[in-house]
Amino acid sequence: MKKLLLSSALIAASAGTAMAEIKVGILHSLSGTMAISETTLKDTMLMLIEQQNAKGGLLGEKLVPVVVDPASDWPLFAEKARELLTVHEVDVIFGNWTSVSRKSVLPVIEELNGLLFYPVQYEGEESSKNVFYTGAAPNQQAIPATDYYLEELGVEKFALLGTDYVYPRTTNKILEQYLKDSGIAADDIFVNYTPFGHSDWSKIVADVVALGEDGKKVGVISTINGDANIGFYKELAAAGVSADDIPVVAFSVGEEELAGLDTTNLVGHLAAWNYFQSADAEANTSFIDAWKDTMGAERVTNDPMEAHYIGFNMWVNAATAAGTTDVDAVRDAMYGQEFPNLTGGTAVMLPNHHLAKPVLIGEIQEDGQFDIISQTAEVPGDAWTDFLPESAVLKSDWKELGCGMFNTETNTCVQLKSNY
Amino acid sequence: MYRLLLVLCFFFAHPIFAQSLTEIVEKHQPNILKGSVKTAAPIIADIQAVGTEAATEFLTNWQDKALWFIKETGQIVSVVTDDKKTYQLIDIETGTLVTELAKKDIKQIKPNSGLRKMLGSALVTGKLLSPQKEIRLAGVDALIRDPKASHLDPLRVALEAEADIELKGIMDRAERQLTIQFDDLEVARVAAIESFSNDLSVEARGTLNPLLSNKIMLADLVPEDANIKGPITPGSEALTYEDAFDLLVAAEKATPVPTNAEIASILEANIENDTIAGFALADMSDADTRIKAYLALADAGKALAFDPNATIADLVADHEFIAVYVETSKAVTDAASNALDQINAKVGFSRFIDLALDGVSLASIYFLAAIGLAITFGVMRVINMAHGEFIMMGAYTGFVVQQIIPNYTVSIILAVPLAFAVTFAAGVAMERLVIRHLYHRPLETLLATFGISIALQQIAKNIFGTQARPLTAPGWLDGSLVINEVIQISWIRIAIFVLSLLFLLLLLFILNKTRLGLETRAVTQNPRMAASMGINPDRINMLTFGLGSGIAGIAGVAIGLYAKVTSELGADYIVQSFMTVVVGGVGNIWGTLAGATMIGFLQKGIEWFNPSNTLAAQTYMIIFIIIFIQFRPRGIIALKGRAAGD
Repeated sequence: MKKLLLSSALIAASAGTAMAEIKVGILHSLSGTMAISETTLKDTMLMLIEQQNAKGGLLGEKLVPVVVDPASDWPLFAEKARELLTVHEVDVIFGNWTSVSRKSVLPVIEELNGLLFYPVQYEGEESSKNVFYTGAAPNQQAIPATDYYLEELGVEKFALLGTDYVYPRTTNKILEQYLKDSGIAADDIFVNYTPFGHSDWSKIVADVVALGEDGKKVGVISTINGDANIGFYKELAAAGVSADDIPVVAFSVGEEELAGLDTTNLVGHLAAWNYFQSADAEANTSFIDAWKDTMGAERVTNDPMEAHYIGFNMWVNAATAAGTTDVDAVRDAMYGQEFPNLTGGTAVMLPNHHLAKPVLIGEIQEDGQFDIISQTAEVPGDAWTDFLPESAVLKSDWKELGCGMFNTETNTCVQLKSNY
Repeated sequence: MYRLLLVLCFFFAHPIFAQSLTEIVEKHQPNILKGSVKTAAPIIADIQAVGTEAATEFLTNWQDKALWFIKETGQIVSVVTDDKKTYQLIDIETGTLVTELAKKDIKQIKPNSGLRKMLGSALVTGKLLSPQKEIRLAGVDALIRDPKASHLDPLRVALEAEADIELKGIMDRAERQLTIQFDDLEVARVAAIESFSNDLSVEARGTLNPLLSNKIMLADLVPEDANIKGPITPGSEALTYEDAFDLLVAAEKATPVPTNAEIASILEANIENDTIAGFALADMSDADTRIKAYLALADAGKALAFDPNATIADLVADHEFIAVYVETSKAVTDAASNALDQINAKVGFSRFIDLALDGVSLASIYFLAAIGLAITFGVMRVINMAHGEFIMMGAYTGFVVQQIIPNYTVSIILAVPLAFAVTFAAGVAMERLVIRHLYHRPLETLLATFGISIALQQIAKNIFGTQARPLTAPGWLDGSLVINEVIQISWIRIAIFVLSLLFLLLLLFILNKTRLGLETRAVTQNPRMAASMGINPDRINMLTFGLGSGIAGIAGVAIGLYAKVTSELGADYIVQSFMTVVVGGVGNIWGTLAGATMIGFLQKGIEWFNPSNTLAAQTYMIIFIIIFIQFRPRGIIALKGRAAGD
């Protein structure tokens, strides 16, 4: 009897608190391969929620984080998303890192009409009604970096090196077309794909060096993922290739990846992101200070963290504007939301669920930080690339057209669900 | 004297004709802050025109990222700082102190590497005459990266005056490179080109190849004094029929063939009373009718006529095409094409040697990874799926040692025996606790060791995280052994090769010349008989397994040095290792060597055929090996008779 009383009291208590609380789901891997990157994002979210609660919460209620661990297991991401939405009944989810995990969550979140903020740079060609993409689309990272190569460094011959999976393949497909449109001959584009964790780079580096034999300036665009980068840069250095001779611009190498690495081989090579820790802005300084206070002085900040920072604050502002955390109301309030990003300037949420953000290009320094040598104005994120004929005709506009895959030639909505 | 006059000239001319440095910098301030190659050329020219030392200093500072600007006023200054908090701002023109400001009030100007190259190129003349050798070297480097005709004379002056033999060599080479590109004298250029005919460097080819760039022209349009390469037949790789036809059209020798869409739009534009040029609109679904209608329109002058029956190949057949060098001097192009022929023959040979060296290197890496397995699997017949994790443990041991001992040479020398000790102990422990109970039950051994391998990987992830850890090679292993410009191999790979050779000899010695080796062979061939002879099979099995594991640990240090240290490091090598042992022939160290050699060379060979997809190369290799195993199930070197064990 006592037990029964206790349990009913517990239920009443939990029901009572549920009314006075807003739940924020955090769907990042805390174990497995992706843990090292995603744990940082979980910590970022907890810090942001704590800061918001210190400011008085949202709509007069307290924000409560609900953390689950999908364990770098892609199908488990879908299970955990379902758990967040049906068991914990969260109002919003911040989560995912790899594209494959996002694809796994999409059907669940669309079926249950959830709301997901996805913070990592990705290959584009997607627009879901229930996802806000706060990371970079290809036109916010790959294309500006290529322009920088063409215009500033005068690169005439390109080596597109990538790990063999969906992000590099899609990005390189877009880049190849873009380079051809920019007047680079097909013979001057060298493409190579290597397996995850590849370590035997001597032949590939020799091939890249040999590209310069007709007197043209060679540049490498690297979508090489993770550990494989180390062997690649080591081999470049061993071959005596400096960043002045053959620059390498990487899309997957950031502060977190460089932390604790020997960066002597990498100095002068480039990376393109929407955020660097070294950005000189007041908002950034206070963000870094708060992060180091919570996590320790040796920790660094990176691009996906900024994406969560913007996404979370936009969601808070949208919910405040809508006066509710109801998904449909918040979504409507999201469009046109503006929030100052950490590098100076303002991020704007577009009707295609992508952000307008500046593109930064940084040179790697000895201390693992980046020297920002180029910063563009805000570039609106493009869900469907303009450089592939099959997606150039597609457009995403959830506000006016109510469609994420709208064919502008036939003026029809191709499909609403993003199960492609 | 002349120089003095020149300086005097500048001195007097400066206040009258040119603006001061401050004025110019102020005028260009926004573009200097933005720092783009597109806008920099006039700025650099303006500043150089000032001609003062301060102007050169300004450009040098700009290139070295040593210019800052005051956020409030936008004034550009150079800075001095002691503590990186307060900065003394120095006027760019007078060199006097402007003011002192905190870091947050000023911002560094960071030119990109393209702009730095431009600045370096602009500063070449001054640098070449510098009394310091490093600066002169930097000058030549900048000059080679961005050669200009104006560099030729200062370079020749500097070359004449250079005392340092090594630097003189570099300058001499740069001088010949510039001569080829910019000298007016044909004889000098030809001589310089010929001097490169033994040079295999990418730069040499990069200088010579552009001399042979040519364009294809219609024979009738080639000017008389043109430097002709030779006739080109359409339909070849150099000139497709389409390109040839485009040339004809451009020369107005042919009318373009209308596309289907063009035909359709012209037809649509000429619809009269449901007919087009007399053909009924209803018949227009037929392609032939459409063309007939179009040709009728063409006859009436409403469209451009064409011959629907002629193919492009026919249309271009009556015309001659000629390739013409952009370079006008025939002597130069002849010399360049001769020199390149010689170079390319040597480069081709060198590439082959380089590929072979890569193959040897890969083979030695596979051999090193597999040699431990050659003992545990090859000799003892234990399928140890955790072998890769022993490699990983060795690599992490190296990493930990480097955390404690910062001297890279000492730490590596210490890491090798330590890695052996750690993995030897791990191997012995695994043999005692698991494998001993599973001898002659291969399936259970496989499953048990596979489980252990997953557990070991996760433990490594928990301790060291999933991010790759660095294992840095000592300085004397940096860089490459350069045989010529094409054939080079990094010292680490050579070290791995030497290490694997040492282990080959060591193992051969242990197995064939020591008591342990004799006992091991006895136990593996017939444990009962061996036991009757007074050998303790348990002890021998334990030691042999420990030895194989220990060698895997040392391989881990070597592999970590050349690639990276992660928890998945071992898993990357386990398949290759088994493949090496099986292909080579189980139970024989020589077999493992043969297997590693074959797989290494095969992989490189396939990569050479298919450079764009390394993953595919590995797939093809595995397919080849599957086929190979069908024909030689016992591997390259098969044991015969009683030694085969069955």
